[in-house]
Amino acid sequence: MSKRSQFGRKERVFGYSIIIPYIAYTAIFWGYPFVWMLILAFTKWNFFSKPSFVWLDNFLKMFTDSVFLQIILNTLNFLAYLIPMILISSLLFALALKKVKFGRTFIMLSFLIANVSSGVAYSLLFSNLFAVNGPVNRIFDALFGVTIPWFSDPQLAIFSICLIITWKFIGYYGLILYAGLQQIPQSLYEAAELDGANGNVLFWKITLPLLNPSLVTVTVLAIMLTFGIFTEPYLITGGGPMQRTTTFMIYMYDTAFKRIDPSYATTIAIVTALLSYGLVTLIRKVFEREVSFV
Amino acid sequence: MKKQEIGAYIITFLLIFLAIVWIYPYIWLFISSFKPAEDIYTTFWPKSLTLDHYKFIFIMANRFERPFVRAFFNSLFISTTVTFSVIITSALVGYAISRIKFKAGRTLFNFTIWQMLFPGFMFMIPLFVLIRNFNWLNTYQALIVPSLTSAWGIFMFAQAFKTIPEDYVDAARMDGANDFWIIFRVMFPLAGSTASIVGLFTFIGIWDNFLWPLMVMKDYNKMPLSVLLASFNHEYASYIGPILAGSVIQTIPMVVIFLLLRRYFLQGISMSLR
Repeated sequence: MSKRSQFGRKERVFGYSIIIPYIAYTAIFWGYPFVWMLILAFTKWNFFSKPSFVWLDNFLKMFTDSVFLQIILNTLNFLAYLIPMILISSLLFALALKKVKFGRTFIMLSFLIANVSSGVAYSLLFSNLFAVNGPVNRIFDALFGVTIPWFSDPQLAIFSICLIITWKFIGYYGLILYAGLQQIPQSLYEAAELDGANGNVLFWKITLPLLNPSLVTVTVLAIMLTFGIFTEPYLITGGGPMQRTTTFMIYMYDTAFKRIDPSYATTIAIVTALLSYGLVTLIRKVFEREVSFV
Repeated sequence: MKKQEIGAYIITFLLIFLAIVWIYPYIWLFISSFKPAEDIYTTFWPKSLTLDHYKFIFIMANRFERPFVRAFFNSLFISTTVTFSVIITSALVGYAISRIKFKAGRTLFNFTIWQMLFPGFMFMIPLFVLIRNFNWLNTYQALIVPSLTSAWGIFMFAQAFKTIPEDYVDAARMDGANDFWIIFRVMFPLAGSTASIVGLFTFIGIWDNFLWPLMVMKDYNKMPLSVLLASFNHEYASYIGPILAGSVIQTIPMVVIFLLLRRYFLQGISMSLR
């Protein structure tokens, strides 16, 4: 008994000796920035002078900041393309992957390799591939006699960037849905087929409702992703045309380092996080269902 | 029944076709980096192959003060250091908060979960302020030290260690093993897939990181490849060949590590569901 408790003490000492350095590290590289984040949000500062307290001015400024309001619209515009594109294509991918007869590993790897690609490399790659006189437009020109201004028309630019992001994430999200599909018991389908249900009914009454947790997961991941878009528009369109592809992250970066206003930039980051968190909560409230296989 | 069979084969061929479409950009990138500049946009199959773009990257670019080779090794150094540190610290802290029964451990476990709720971009400007106060701008520390631990990695290891039966630890203790031995010789091998997942995602995340190094690194000699490539593209956009060759070099390590650890990547996806 006494040996056991002595042993527990030794163990706790070891535990503390590990977590105390970790807590010290976290206090410096997480706690200190956390405090600075709060300070910056309520002050005015230009990196050099002493921060001056301005109450809620940074937050109030957003309501009259036309660029910020434009970015909210841009983000909604991105979401309007990206969420349906990603959900439908990765669902189709997952459903098709279940039916595949051979070559499943090759298919999965090809789609996943897009996911581990480097943001900088593929942005440069696509900006060349889809350039006005680039290879893709040459194919379109030869086949249909038209060229498409992929990145110079505002709506098309948003659509093209969404296309690239879909290219990147369909494999990853598709496999999340595929794993969800695997969890639906086959017996449910067999029972429903005995009752005379056709393929359509099976999909809408069994597959889709039971896939709800995975579908919500993918939607939530895609929303958080959309609020964090930076590399693609920064390198491909530079936020243009007419600031229509400017995202929260680009604006945060520009505000901090081009307009030398880190306090407003931090406020933008906080509000961006709150908006994304709010939208995620809303989506979960509306769409999330309890699913259990009994 | 027969109709379904045919349908399944059609779907298979369609998906294999799409899989090729999906890697087509990579194929185009790879082939184009060996094509003479005037052929890059016009022909798919190269009429002649050239190593000019790679020669430019490896030799000429130094004269433009864009040391690509050095940037590649900078990236490699930064990513490997961070990856090893994250794996080791995550295993240690994960062990402490999941296997040792003490109150501080449980509190820390809840804190790491809470930490994961905050997206990284919220901390970027304040962290920049901290790095600036340390006088670490334009140093390797700025790119390495803030990423040395990971709340997500700790969480992953804690979850994995929880499932290992106590008997293993007791048996090792009987044999006189100390805590470090238990963590790295007993627990760690049993959590091999977790270690690979944490390592893979950390390496890819750091290698591909763009916004943070863009903020803290202006010194061309210490830049990671991602930022150097972007800055080169910004100033010499007409050098399409070298840009594509640089993109190939930037992509290769990620593809290699992904292909090596692909089994764990798939496990990681099903794990993220729970």
